[in-house]
Amino acid sequence: MSDDLVFMMGNYEAHVPGDRRYAKNHVWLLPEGEGFRVGFTAYSVRLLQDVYFLDWTIDPGTTVREKQEIGEVESSKALSTLYAPSAGTVVGFNEKLLEDPTAINTDGYGEGWLYEFTTDETFLSPPEYVEVLDAGWDDTQRHLKGQVN
Amino acid sequence: MAGHKITVVIAQHQGKNPAKRELEEELAARLLMEPDFDCSLVPHLYDMSHDHTGMLFLRSVPGDVVLLSWLYPRAAFWTLDRAGVTGKFGHTLLVPEDDDEIDSEDAPPEPTGRESNRTITCIDLRNESDPEAYLDEIRRIAGESAVETVDLMSWIGGDPKKEQLERYLKPANNGSNGNGHQSVDASAEPVQLFDVTDEMAKRRWYPVIDYDRCTNCMECIDFCLFGVYGVDNVDTILVEQQDNCKKGCPACSRVCPENAIIFPNHKTAAIAGADGEVAGLKIDLSKLFGGEEKDPLAMAVAERDAELVADGRDAVGMAVGIPKRQTETVTAARDELDDLIDGLDDLDL
Repeated sequence: MSDDLVFMMGNYEAHVPGDRRYAKNHVWLLPEGEGFRVGFTAYSVRLLQDVYFLDWTIDPGTTVREKQEIGEVESSKALSTLYAPSAGTVVGFNEKLLEDPTAINTDGYGEGWLYEFTTDETFLSPPEYVEVLDAGWDDTQRHLKGQVN
Repeated sequence: MAGHKITVVIAQHQGKNPAKRELEEELAARLLMEPDFDCSLVPHLYDMSHDHTGMLFLRSVPGDVVLLSWLYPRAAFWTLDRAGVTGKFGHTLLVPEDDDEIDSEDAPPEPTGRESNRTITCIDLRNESDPEAYLDEIRRIAGESAVETVDLMSWIGGDPKKEQLERYLKPANNGSNGNGHQSVDASAEPVQLFDVTDEMAKRRWYPVIDYDRCTNCMECIDFCLFGVYGVDNVDTILVEQQDNCKKGCPACSRVCPENAIIFPNHKTAAIAGADGEVAGLKIDLSKLFGGEEKDPLAMAVAERDAELVADGRDAVGMAVGIPKRQTETVTAARDELDDLIDGLDDLDL
């Protein structure tokens, strides 16, 4: 894909496909029907590494606020609460991932999509998201190291 | 010790992670080859209902048990206790590799479990990926058990009748232990597999009390406004209405001053029953995904308010059931972070 952007996480190339939008909390949004499909960006997946367990704490069809807690993810290296990227409605979840979340790692921009989301908000373009990554990279490294010390 | 078999139970993981399934299956296959072990496979311990055949089986085992599960040993032990499977807490030597420095001053008191003639040893399957390590440890435990419980040999080695089992399982004190134990007729059939292919409909969520730690201070019953907690006839705290518990909400665990309330599936190791062992202590990426940092009491209050509002009730904030003493509301083994360091190495930061 020639229109992919790449953000370097150390030696790792985190791809940022040009066909979709991005939210600051490191999910992508791909227009699909009335709304978006939402998934983890390569940047997120690199930090999470192998995802073991995904759990949604809201029901399909729930209207959410920005930053509302919607679920949890556990991976080989991390645990995290997941939050809504903006105000909107979480229409439904990728049921396949609840059985087996490996698609998040193997096809994070495709079959590894997380949920369907409708919203009136606008999101970041790929270059804007890369800027966010650039600006936040030092902080992210500090944050990770801060949890170690 | 001819005739004495130790019962080894593998409790499966909730998910279908192929690596985890493979370890479970490999272990089961190898254990079946061992003449001294009775091996059984049950579904995920925490999700099994009280009358699930796997649980009935567990309650019917009179002697020593080694339980292999994907839970912290404390979480698994007290989950069993809640289900009426009680015993002494068996200590395993199979612990996370980088556990060394924890044993010193900050180590919490050693769990003891119940006064009992038998020992239940819970081993966390996250510790090791090599099945042989578990077999070695089970052999070691079996060796110890053969020495310690020699007076029980004839009984265990024999084939107890149902009434004997009942008596054993329901001692004179009416079998009530604060975790809500009620004895149920148990079949002593030597079955190996318990509905593990039949995916359980739903994942459950409820608190499990560690009675080694609980001081019966009643802060949980004051704090929880959903009627989960109750007391028995001698005023011992117990989880009375577990289905009233709000999925994902660990608020009572955060306010417990002794860290005695375990939610075995919570993402935070200390809440999930880690005990100086921090195999599961992982980087929390919540901030990255949009979360904000709060202190535990504020988190507990926010979690409770969210559940109240979801129920159509009014949020109460700090107005109800706040511990009088607010020091040490956090108990967390937050120091042992070798695996995090390993994690960072892998990140090439």
